[in-house]
Amino acid sequence: MKHRNFIMTMIVTVAIVVTSGKIFSDRRKIEKVNKGAGVFEVEMLSKYEPSLKGTSGDTEIFHLKGKEEGGSTLVLGGTHANEPSGYLAALMIVETLEVEKGDVYVIPQANKSAFTHNDAQEGNETDFSLKTRSGNRVFTFGSRATNPVDQWPDPDIYIHKASGQKLSGGETRNLNRAYPGRTDGTLTEKVAYGIINFINEKKIDVSIDLHEASPEYPVINALVAPVKGMEIASSALMNLQMEGVELGLEPSPKNLHGLSHREWTDYTDTNAFLFETANPSQGRLRGPSSKELITEGVDRFYVQLADIGMLFVPFTEEGHPISQRVARQIAGVNALMSAFGEFNPEKEITFSNVPTYDEIMENGVGNYLK
Amino acid sequence: MMTIIYRLILLMVTGLVVKSIYDEDKLINQIMGAMVIVPLVLRAAMLK
Repeated sequence: MKHRNFIMTMIVTVAIVVTSGKIFSDRRKIEKVNKGAGVFEVEMLSKYEPSLKGTSGDTEIFHLKGKEEGGSTLVLGGTHANEPSGYLAALMIVETLEVEKGDVYVIPQANKSAFTHNDAQEGNETDFSLKTRSGNRVFTFGSRATNPVDQWPDPDIYIHKASGQKLSGGETRNLNRAYPGRTDGTLTEKVAYGIINFINEKKIDVSIDLHEASPEYPVINALVAPVKGMEIASSALMNLQMEGVELGLEPSPKNLHGLSHREWTDYTDTNAFLFETANPSQGRLRGPSSKELITEGVDRFYVQLADIGMLFVPFTEEGHPISQRVARQIAGVNALMSAFGEFNPEKEITFSNVPTYDEIMENGVGNYLK
Repeated sequence: MMTIIYRLILLMVTGLVVKSIYDEDKLINQIMGAMVIVPLVLRAAMLK
């Protein structure tokens, strides 16, 4: 009897291990980015940091080349894989847009390892779907940080090597605390180092990091710019206001190291910027997690919190749908490029078919994805 | 090297749990032991 129970228990255990093991291993398969008509060339980040070759940190760099010479820009999505509007905006540029003037480089999955897992203890979803031009398409909802399977264990305290700054241990896997990175560092630091090398080698004029933040986070619906980029950022914000898109302007903090806009400015000659939109699925004060919360952005708890002034962003029953958040990112990128062109006419960067904020809102973001 | 040692430790612990389940008389305790095995095996298998 005892041994019969043992055999039965083991059979059930093996079945559970195999089933859950398949779920885990499937998480490592990330959806492909579809190349649009505007893509001229695809390179890997490992070309700029060879130690990334064959690792989960290696990621595609899509080059969209204009018909006319101009400036160059780098757009980063997926620095944090749980901030989908930045990822989708980068995908939209790769899959739909065409460049008229200049060179546009896009890394849609900047921290690719972060797309291979999620923050399960936050109750987060693993994916969400949108109706795109080719039908229903599933997108990964990943984590803020590199997968611990790729980089472990976390230290108790993360020391940012370039500055000596101390942060909590978990931040050691945060790409947006790892710049400028180093070649003999952790996987996250190597990815950061590769991006810095890429910016320097290509002499990128404008670099933009697309992010989201929870509605209770102070830096939200904002454009973050260092001192040297303030004129361009201010001009971009005025253009956006004329389009009906309200954004705040936040200075890049001088004493907070490891962030893209801070270290790209200090370690390269690029003009670095960062966008934040409001992501209700990220916040701690939200209601239950769901795929709808990611795509529709409606949450009654945030409505109540907005009523009593606890949020840093307006929040109504209409929420912050993904189309609105992507529209803000795309309008922001376009406005920054226009503003940069106003100050540097010989280095203009222009798209030939960029949809307006209202068009994305009306047609939905899926209409601009393959 | 750390990964190999960690994987060996996990497999040894798993082996001990399986042996305990084999020696256990009560079904409820065998099931509880089996619940411990699942994350141990997954962890060992998913390491890089």
